[in-house]
Amino acid sequence: MGNCCSDVGGRMAAVGGTAAITGNQSDAVDMYLKSRGIHGILSQIELSFSATNLRDRDVFSKSDPMLVVYIKERDGAVIEVFRTEVVLNSLNPTWIKKYTIAYHFEVVQTLLFHVFDVDTQFLNIEVKMLKLEEQQSLGEASCALSEIVTKPNRSITLDLVRRVEFVSSTHSQHHGKLTVHAEECFSSRTTAEMILSCLDLESKDLFSKCDPFLVISKLVESGISIPVCKTEVLKNDHNPTWKPVFLNIQQVGSKDSPLVIECFNFNSNGKHDLIGKVQKSIADLEKIHSGREGENLFLPTLVRHDWENKILKSKLFVEKFSQTIQHTFLDYLAGGFELNFMVAIDFTASNGNPRLPDSLHYIDPSGRQNAYQKAIYEVGEVLQFYDTDKCFPAWGFGARPIDGPVSHCFNLNGSNNYCKVEGIRGIMMAYTSALFNVSLAGPTLFGHVINKAALIASQSLADEARKYFVLLIITDGVVTDLQETKDALVKASDLPLSILIVGVGGADFKEMEILDADKGERLESSTGRVASRDIVQFVPFRDVQGGEVSIVQALLAELPTQFLTYMRSRDIKPRI
Amino acid sequence: METKSRTLEITVLSAEDLRIDNKPVKKNAYVVVSVDPFNNKATKVDGEGGSYHSWNDKLVMEMPLQTRFITLLVKCKGSRGEKTVGLARIPVTDFVGGYSPATCLQFLSYRLRDPKGLKNGIINVSLRVKEPLQDCSSQAAAAGGGNAATIGLGIPIDGRRDHGMVTGIPIWTGYQSYSLF
Repeated sequence: MGNCCSDVGGRMAAVGGTAAITGNQSDAVDMYLKSRGIHGILSQIELSFSATNLRDRDVFSKSDPMLVVYIKERDGAVIEVFRTEVVLNSLNPTWIKKYTIAYHFEVVQTLLFHVFDVDTQFLNIEVKMLKLEEQQSLGEASCALSEIVTKPNRSITLDLVRRVEFVSSTHSQHHGKLTVHAEECFSSRTTAEMILSCLDLESKDLFSKCDPFLVISKLVESGISIPVCKTEVLKNDHNPTWKPVFLNIQQVGSKDSPLVIECFNFNSNGKHDLIGKVQKSIADLEKIHSGREGENLFLPTLVRHDWENKILKSKLFVEKFSQTIQHTFLDYLAGGFELNFMVAIDFTASNGNPRLPDSLHYIDPSGRQNAYQKAIYEVGEVLQFYDTDKCFPAWGFGARPIDGPVSHCFNLNGSNNYCKVEGIRGIMMAYTSALFNVSLAGPTLFGHVINKAALIASQSLADEARKYFVLLIITDGVVTDLQETKDALVKASDLPLSILIVGVGGADFKEMEILDADKGERLESSTGRVASRDIVQFVPFRDVQGGEVSIVQALLAELPTQFLTYMRSRDIKPRI
Repeated sequence: METKSRTLEITVLSAEDLRIDNKPVKKNAYVVVSVDPFNNKATKVDGEGGSYHSWNDKLVMEMPLQTRFITLLVKCKGSRGEKTVGLARIPVTDFVGGYSPATCLQFLSYRLRDPKGLKNGIINVSLRVKEPLQDCSSQAAAAGGGNAATIGLGIPIDGRRDHGMVTGIPIWTGYQSYSLF
């Protein structure tokens, strides 16, 4: 008996204890939350429309324009999503009806706009019943949603064109202009900042303490709870105090909207145990803070086929409550902030001879992209819209230029003193050109390109430019200078810079995941300095090649959060 | 005239995961900042704390040019007196001669080591160096005659260019709390 009690392994097995805390805490928690419907930052954008100088189609009166909005799916399909009302007798309409769309930073959201002159005979018909083929086209235009939200005034004016088919060619005729204006769908940016704590949490395991975290969800009318916020996991703590959480009041409904705050005991398998919960509004939490009294948690318990709320002795406290104005990512864009894309490509020999089909750098004559090209395109096509000049620094590392030593940071364009290329196309061209002008070598070192990117970011910071940099590193192998890379990342963490690392090929990328702080502890340099924030994201590109949702999109989805963390920590506000 | 010291503005922002004898330090922590053995200042005591301690105390100190490290000593007042939580040393080279000019506000974080040398929590600070002054005696005389301090560079607030001191709390949310909005 004594031996059994002292046997840690046996004890864990006997009571079904939790697995040891690993570096996958965040993964498990995030997976849990995603299974409950939360997928990241979502902003709703309201689009309003007006047009000028429309083509006059009617003989005895002006046109009666209606606007139809389409979205272009990833597979190229065009889907109608919205129609305005018909504005009678006008060549300069301002439509009243507005279209609301969810803004997703991580994808290019292509919008198509088509203006029709509704024939007089159909004016009494409901717009959704109108057959578009029976109406006259006044012109069409297209743009990406990100093109609109990055404009200083959040408005874009597009030329309306009308295609006229001829036997041997297609000509476009310009017929007026369409203006699209975007606004975020909540006017209030008031955010409640709270520090929450619990007292006397009850452990689900007989022989171990809690590893608690909180999930805050809003209740919708149907009774479903939608998670909006979560805390970090605290290890072995019956009386936890979590880091501050932020709740946008408008996004949860109002200060009086009901919230559910659930306290879970973390399990690395993702099946977290509910310790207890409370249902309170933000206003209630403010009262709890003011009164300095806690609120008892309760636990739904099945008693003779009925659920009852068992009141626990555990209590929730609000250690701090304040309300602040929190600007959104889109606010910063409207205020002139840019995201500047940079790319660094692995040219080490482990990729294989570019002339051979099994090489990761193989340039297929049919035009099919290799993994490097795909990664560049998937990241670049999104980020390009957030950079005004669209000139991107592009480097290679791990190759030997002609008659030179191995370089761990060389300009893809072949220049000795200028690293930028024009557009995503410029990156692609420089990449393919470099492939056949250098010798693949090694080893794989990240430190040099990170330092180069950091230097550019620091110069921008010193110049007080409103720029935030995103460095994409694409690599096939395990980094050789891991500690030097960590040191470089820690040093760069105080700069306006994020780093996306995409692994291609079949190598073991375990060490790469060390650099991604989402999956491990904060990076620490050899001198004991710690990264002031998480700036690295890593994904192995092979996971979902050809999949409906690219894993690169998940990589990009984190960027607004990293951007906002940087801005808010330095109290930098957009100029609105 | 030879410059012998620099004015250091260091704001002790926050600390996290502080422990003594493997038990969380919940309150009454404070930080002693030293630029040399005879020149140190302390923050206020954080009475609320929890696992996330916040001071936001700005300390202005004259740092001799020969100083190589700034020492941050985290202590805790308890019923049995004061205890040392941990210590961190900031190499001057981390904020002078780095990516950003020393006169720019920089946010730095360091791992604390407890008296046994074991890893403890993390301390977060922001700091910048004002332009080098003349020697200390000259500075003292100038200070007596009025405000001789120059306005250093800072990160603009709300687009203003008044070079005011920017403070903020680096909030580490390794579990991407923001991404849930």
